Amino acid sequence: MYMLELKDLTKTFGGLTAVGDVNFNVEKDSISGLIGPNGAGKTTIFNLITGVYKVSSGNIIFNGMDITDKKPYIIAGSGITRTFQNIRLFKKLTVYENVLTACHHNANYSLVDSVLRLPRFRKQEKQLNEQAAELIEIMGLDDRKDLIANNLPYGLQRRLEIARALALMPKLLLLDEPAAGMNPDETEQLMKLISEIREKFNLTILIIEHHMDLIMGVCENIMVLNFGLKIAEGTPRDVQNDRSVIEAYLGVEG
Amino acid sequence: MSKEYLLGILTLAGINLMTVLGLSLLTGFTGLFSFGHAGFMAIGGYTAAMMTVNFHWPFIPALLAGGLAAALVSAVIGKVTLNLKGDYFCIATLGFGEAIRLVLDNVQYFGGARGWPGVPYYTNIWNVLLINVVAVIALANLIRSRHGRNMIAVREEELASQIIGINVFKYKMISLMISAGFAGIAGGMMGHYMTFLQPKMFSLVKSTELTIIVIFGGLGSISGSVLGALVLTSLPEILRAFYEWRLVFYGLAVIFIMISRPEGLMGGYELTPSSMKKLYRNLMSKRKGGFQSIGGGK
Amino acid sequence: MTQFFQQLINGLSIGSVYALMAVGYSLVYSIMNFSNFAHGGVIMFGAYFGYFFLKLLKFPFPLAFITSAVCTAILALIIERAAYKPLRERKAPFLYFIISAMGTSIFLENLIIAIPAIGPTFRTYPEVFSKHPFKIGELAIGRLDIMMFIVSAICLVLLIYIIDYTKIGKAIQATSYNIKASALMGVNTDFIIVAIFLMGGFLAGIAGVLFGMKYTVYPQIGGITIKSFIAAVFGGLGSLPGAVVGSILLGIIETFTSGYISSQYRDLIAFVLLIAVLVFRPMGLMGKVTEDKA
Repeated sequence: MYMLELKDLTKTFGGLTAVGDVNFNVEKDSISGLIGPNGAGKTTIFNLITGVYKVSSGNIIFNGMDITDKKPYIIAGSGITRTFQNIRLFKKLTVYENVLTACHHNANYSLVDSVLRLPRFRKQEKQLNEQAAELIEIMGLDDRKDLIANNLPYGLQRRLEIARALALMPKLLLLDEPAAGMNPDETEQLMKLISEIREKFNLTILIIEHHMDLIMGVCENIMVLNFGLKIAEGTPRDVQNDRSVIEAYLGVEG
Repeated sequence: MSKEYLLGILTLAGINLMTVLGLSLLTGFTGLFSFGHAGFMAIGGYTAAMMTVNFHWPFIPALLAGGLAAALVSAVIGKVTLNLKGDYFCIATLGFGEAIRLVLDNVQYFGGARGWPGVPYYTNIWNVLLINVVAVIALANLIRSRHGRNMIAVREEELASQIIGINVFKYKMISLMISAGFAGIAGGMMGHYMTFLQPKMFSLVKSTELTIIVIFGGLGSISGSVLGALVLTSLPEILRAFYEWRLVFYGLAVIFIMISRPEGLMGGYELTPSSMKKLYRNLMSKRKGGFQSIGGGK
Repeated sequence: MTQFFQQLINGLSIGSVYALMAVGYSLVYSIMNFSNFAHGGVIMFGAYFGYFFLKLLKFPFPLAFITSAVCTAILALIIERAAYKPLRERKAPFLYFIISAMGTSIFLENLIIAIPAIGPTFRTYPEVFSKHPFKIGELAIGRLDIMMFIVSAICLVLLIYIIDYTKIGKAIQATSYNIKASALMGVNTDFIIVAIFLMGGFLAGIAGVLFGMKYTVYPQIGGITIKSFIAAVFGGLGSLPGAVVGSILLGIIETFTSGYISSQYRDLIAFVLLIAVLVFRPMGLMGKVTEDKA
C-alpha cells in the first residue's frame, strides 16, 4: 500500500487549471520529489493534500484512507504535516514555544483540567515539555531555544519549521522549497538532515524544490509538473534525461 | 478624597476588569476583535437581575446564570461568523451590540429605555475583588496550557495553526464564549452595584472603552489588562474637567499604540510571581555594586 | 396601492444614500481586504463640512456640496496616510488595522463633540429645496428625495465608468485581485490606494451632506454606517454592484418594515437581515468566494 496516492487530481480556479488530472503515488518511507517551473502547480498540490484548497475533482488517499476535502486540522491529525514556501513560523514566539505549541496534539487534557491544574494536566504538560525539549535537541536548536523565532538566521528558521512539523509525529512530511535561499553549504546540511529525520522519525517525505542538487541528491522518485500537468516521472537519472523535462526547464540553474 | 469614593472607583474598576479580562482573552490572545461586548454585559446584567429580583436567587448563582446566558448567545454569533473572514465577525458584533440595545429599549418587561430600577445592592468591593482574583487565576492557568498556546497560535498564524492540527474554529468559539461569559458576569455585577439597569449603560461607547483598556494594557498581557483597568477607570474621575477630550485622546493614543508600540503598557511582559521575584533579585544584585547573584537561577 | 409606491420611493431614496456609504466602504475593502471602520466618522465630517460651507460661509449649494466632498476626500486620505499606511509598511496583522480604524473613528466622533464651537448639539441644514413635494397623481415625492436619488445615481454611474472604462479603473480592478502581482506588473499600488481613498472619501462626503440635509447633523451619524456595512455584506463583500443593490434593497426593506409593521422595528430589521445573510448565504447576493493562498 502506498503512503499517498493522488488520483486524477484536478484543481481549477475560474477558467484556469492549476492542477490537471495528476496521478502520482508515494511509497512508504521514500523520499520523493515534486519539481517543475514556477507556477506549475506544485504548491497547489500541497494545498490540496493538506486541505487548504478544495479539490475540483479527483481523490487523495493517505495510508488507505480517503482524505479528499477533509479539514486541514483533521488531515494534520491523521499524520500529514508540511512546511511553507514563505516560512510561517509563529514569529513572535520563541523557538521553544513554537515547538511546544505544536506538541499539543499529544495531550488530551481538557479546559477544566488546565484551569484547575488537575493531575492529568500536570502529568501531560510535563510530557509535552519533555517532548519539545527532546525534539529541539535532536534538531540542533537547543542552544537557541529561547530566541524569538523571527530573530533566527534564515536557515535555522527553516529548520525550526521542520522541527515544529515533526512535533505532530507525522507519517508523511511535505517540504515546500526547504532549500530556498540557502547557499551550497547549507543545502548540503539540509540534505543530511532530511536523510537523518527519515531514519529517526520513520517518515515518508515529499519535497518541492528548485535546487536540483538537493532533489537529485536525496530523492528516489520524482514527478515533474508543467502548467498543472504531469510531464514526467521516475528516478533522478530518468528525469534528468527526459526530453520534455529539459525543454520545460531550459534556463534553470542546476 | 474619601474612603467611600476610593472604594467606589476600585469597585467600578473591578467590574470593568472582568469584561476586560474576557476581551483580553478574545482580542489579546486569540486575535478576534469584538465591537459589541457591552451587549454581552447587557445580557448578563438583565439575566442576573431577573434571577435575583423575580426568582430570588442568591447573588453568585445569579451572576453565573448571567454569564451562561451571555456565553450561549455568543455561541450563536460564533457559529455563524467564525468560519468566515474576520470582517464578518467584526460587523456581526457591531450589529449585535446595537441590536441588543434596541431590543432592550423596546421590551417593556425590562423597563424599556427608562430602565429597570430596584435591583438589589449586592455588589461590594469584596466580592468584586474575589471574583476578579478567581478570574485572573483561571485565565492565567488557561493561557499557560496547550489550550492557551493554541489560541495564541491562532492569533499569530491562522493557516500554520491549522496545519499543525489546531481546530481553529473550536478555539475561536471557546475564546468567544469565555469572554462573553466574563462580560455577562461583569454586567450582573454592574447591575447589582448601580441598583438599576438601563440599555444605554451598554452602548457602543462602552464596548469601545473596554477594548481600549485592553489595548493600552497590551495585547497578550493579563497584568496589562489589570493595570489598564485600574488606571483608565480612575483617570476619568481625576480628569473630570477634561471629560470631553478624554475620548479624543484615547482615539489618537490607540492609533499611536498600534503603530509604534502594539505591545502596550506592559510591553508583552507579564507580572507574575516568578517574574517579580526575578526583578527583585536583579534590583538587589545591582545594589551590591554589580555583584552577581550566586548560581543565578532562571 | 399608492402607499406601496410611496414607501417604495422613500425606500429608494434612503437606499441610495446607503449605497453611497456602502460603495465607499466596499471600494476600500475590495482592494485592501480591510474593513475601514472609520468610514462612519468620515461621513459624519462630510455632513459637518456641508453644514459649515452652506450655513456659515453661505456658499451657493452646488459649490458647498462639491467643496464638502473634496474636503472629506482629503480627510479620508489623511487618515489613510496617518493610521493605515504605517501599519501596511510594517506588515501588521489584520487585527491592528481594525483597532487603528476604531481609534480613528473614536477620535473623529469625539473631536466634534469636544470642540467647544461645535459640540454635540443637533443642527439642521438650511432649507435648500422647498419642502413642497412633487405630486404625481396621489404620490408625493419630496424634492430632496429626488435630488438624493439623482445625485447618488450620477455618482455611482461615474464610478462604474471610471472602474470599467478608464486605465486607472483597470489598474484598480487588477489590484483588487492581486495586489502583489499588480505591483510586479508595474502598477503603482500606492497611487491606487490614494485614488481609492480619495474616491471613497468623496462619496462619503456626498453621502454625509445628503444625510445631513434629509435628517439632522450630529456627531453620532457614523453609527448609521452600520447599516451600510450590513448592506455591503448583503450585496456581497467586495462587490461594488453588490453594495449598491444591497443598499437599495435594505432601504426598501427598512421603509416597508417601518410603514407596514412598526417604526420601532425599522432599525432592528437590518440586523435580522444580517443574521439571515450570514446563516444562509454569507457571500451575499453578488459576492465572490475566494480561497486563501498558502
